[in-house]
Parts: sequence; structure tokens; C-alpha cells
Amino acid sequence: MGFAGLAAAARAESGPGAQTKGGATAPACCCTESPGAAFSKNSIYQLDARFQDDAGREFALGSLRGRPVVLDMFFTSCGYACPLAVTDMLAIQSRLPAELRSRTVFVLVSFDSVHDTPEVLAKYRAQRLLDGRWVLLHGSDSSVRELAALLGVNYRREADGSYTHSNVLSVLNRQGELAYRRVGLSGGVSELGGAVVAAGK
Amino acid sequence: MVTIPPGQYVPFTKTARGAQAVPVGAFLLDEFPVTNADFLLFVRANPQWRRSQVSGLFADATYLSNWANDLEPGRLAPADSPVVHVSWFAARAYARWVGGRLPTMAEWERAASAGYRCSDGRNDPELNRDLFAWFAQPAPEVLPSVASAKANFYGVRGLHCLVWEWVEDFNSVIDPAGDAGPGGNLYCAAGASDVKDTGDYATFMRMALRSSLKANNTTGSLGFRCARDTGTAPGGKAPEGNLATEKSR
Repeated sequence: MGFAGLAAAARAESGPGAQTKGGATAPACCCTESPGAAFSKNSIYQLDARFQDDAGREFALGSLRGRPVVLDMFFTSCGYACPLAVTDMLAIQSRLPAELRSRTVFVLVSFDSVHDTPEVLAKYRAQRLLDGRWVLLHGSDSSVRELAALLGVNYRREADGSYTHSNVLSVLNRQGELAYRRVGLSGGVSELGGAVVAAGK
Repeated sequence: MVTIPPGQYVPFTKTARGAQAVPVGAFLLDEFPVTNADFLLFVRANPQWRRSQVSGLFADATYLSNWANDLEPGRLAPADSPVVHVSWFAARAYARWVGGRLPTMAEWERAASAGYRCSDGRNDPELNRDLFAWFAQPAPEVLPSVASAKANFYGVRGLHCLVWEWVEDFNSVIDPAGDAGPGGNLYCAAGASDVKDTGDYATFMRMALRSSLKANNTTGSLGFRCARDTGTAPGGKAPEGNLATEKSR
């Protein structure tokens, strides 16, 4: 079954009300929860770490509430695993059913708080042709360490300025709860895509 | 707090380029690990860190499980014993609350590399004897007072032979059996093959522990202490309540 099939199954499962909820209108925000409400007990959005996007704007992870999220921690100068993970994320994005694609957010958070400034991230966005559904984040060492700890991503900076790190792609559901983790580079994108479909319900 | 002079830390694991010493600047480190009395002040002031209220995301089910209740450490957690059953998130939140931070692994290892009487503890027979005696014992149900710990060359107490301690970048130890590294899909460092000095048993134990931990884990032998950058005045929000600070005066 392709992603579209999975999405149809998901809609069928969640009953007649679900169809209207995710309708093709207003792609920008689909928050059905009130924005002021407390995050759920297992929501990683409880983290008070602050980030900056590639336009230099303050970015709170909690602003992603209400959308399915695919999140990867990376660094722009990585020559091996990170580009592959981004390629996988692009593949997932292109294969999602249109309605779900319109509200799924793809987040890249850099390990490299020194070199991956918002400007460098903006350049990376242009190089990799990442559209408006992608959020590229820069954070302090402390914020990055905290997010990594929550996602079970281990990493260290090497003497040459590169990073040794776990390869983990995380899918967050609309409450910001960790719904799925892909560890390692193999495993393809089908299962991940299915996880996004489930997370978008 | 105790000033640790600038020096270097030789990472325990080899990289592709061999083990390289990392310079460690001067920093301040608590003389004692954080005690139950210290931590009680923190949970009093920060209800979200009380045992009954903490999110499972930030502390697992055994968080402060040796305390009698939310605001009473009780019989198994004497006031002057190191606080244990605390997660990395909780340790970090405490450190921030007192105006400090957790030491980095390089800082902690640098401070802990000292013996009782010299800056290089590797050949300190007394320290090695104490370490192996400690490893041989199961953790006691009630931990001793932090004041019982011997001071090392820098005047820091209890880095060894009392409890294990969280460090800021505990998750920089890449688990060889788990996640992937840049050299391949599976991190290619099976077992101890990348360890620099297999004779350094104590460091090996610490690294193994760090690589096995998740940030919300808590255990009965894992506590923490705080660090600060030099030039930042110790004190913070609750100087009057910090037992360790009191004792060092």
C-alpha cells in the first residue's frame, strides 16, 4: 500500500468527522487545539529551548503544534549521512497525499551552533531546494544538547569541526509527541511515510 | 566552589586521527555533589520538579524514589547525602536554578583525573585502592554524607567512590551497539576496540554508564554537581541553602 492508501485507511478509521478537519483549505495552520492550552504530558514541546530559523527569527518548537512533523538533527557541512537523511525526507514529502503534504512540516536542527548560522542555513535551503514546509533551525549548544537528549540523539564535536552523531529521523504527532523513530540510514521511507500518515490523524 | 586550573583532557576513545588532548579552560566546580537538602529547596521552589508532578519525558518512574514523599526526603535520603534518582533534565534544571550549569564531560574528567596528592591520579595507589574497593561493593541503601568523601588534589570531594555523576554532554558517548556514525551505517567501534587505555578501568566504567543512559533515566547511584565559568560569582538564587557551599566556608 502506498502512502495515499495509508492515508485513506487512516481517514476511514477516524470516521466521518476527520475528512473536514484536514480539508484542503488554509494550509498554513491546522491547529484544532487552542494555542494557549498546556502541552500534553509527553509532548516534546514542553522543552523551553529556543531556536532561530534561517530567516533569523526566534522559533519556539511549540509553534509546530497541530501539525505532523518529521525532524532530523544534522549539520550543513556533513558529507555523508546528513544529505542522505534530507534526501529521504524530500522523498517522503513528495510521496505524501496532497492534503497531508500541505500540513506536514520538515524540520532540520543543526548540531553546529558555531558555523550553521541562519545565513548558512538559508544557503542550505536554497541549495537543497527546500520549500516553505521546511524549517531550518539554529540553536545554542545548550538548546541543541537538550533537544538531542529528548530525541535520543547522541553526538559529539570532533577536533576537525565535524560531528559524530546518531542517525535518527523522528516523527512527531500533532501534540508534539514522539510517534516514530527511524534509527540508522536503512529502512527506506515507506515505514516513515506511514508513520507521518498516522501522526497526521 | 573550587577553581580547577586550566589543563587538558585526553578523550577516552580514539578517533580516526588518534586520541587528541583537548584543552580545558579554568572553571569552578562544586566541592561536594548536590545533597538531598539542596535538592529539597529546588523542588520546593519548582513544583514541576516534584516527584508527583514531573513529566515522564523529563524523569522516569524511579525519580526521587528513595524520598519519603514530594517534600520529605526521609529516612533513606539523609539531608547531607548526595541526591540520587535524578535525571539529566532535573540535574540541569537545578543547576540553572542556582545560576550554574553541569560540568562538561571534559571538565569533569579533568577534575577527576587528580589523585589525593597529585594532579595525575593514575598512579595514586591510595585512590586506585579506594576505587576498586568501591566497585566491589554494591551501592548502600542509604548513601553516606558528602562530608565523608576525601578531597582530591584540587580540593574537590566525592568525584570518586560516592556516586556516579551526570555531565552536560553525557550523550556525546556514541553507543557502539546502537546508532549509526559517519563511518558506516552501524558505528564501527565494536566493544572496547576504540578505547585508548583499557587499563583505565574506572574511566571505562563511567563511559559505559554514560553511553547506556537516557536523559530521563534515574538510578540509586547517580547524582550530580554544578560547575560555573570562572569570573561568575557563585551564589545564584539559593546560596543560603547550598549545603556544599556552607560546608566549604
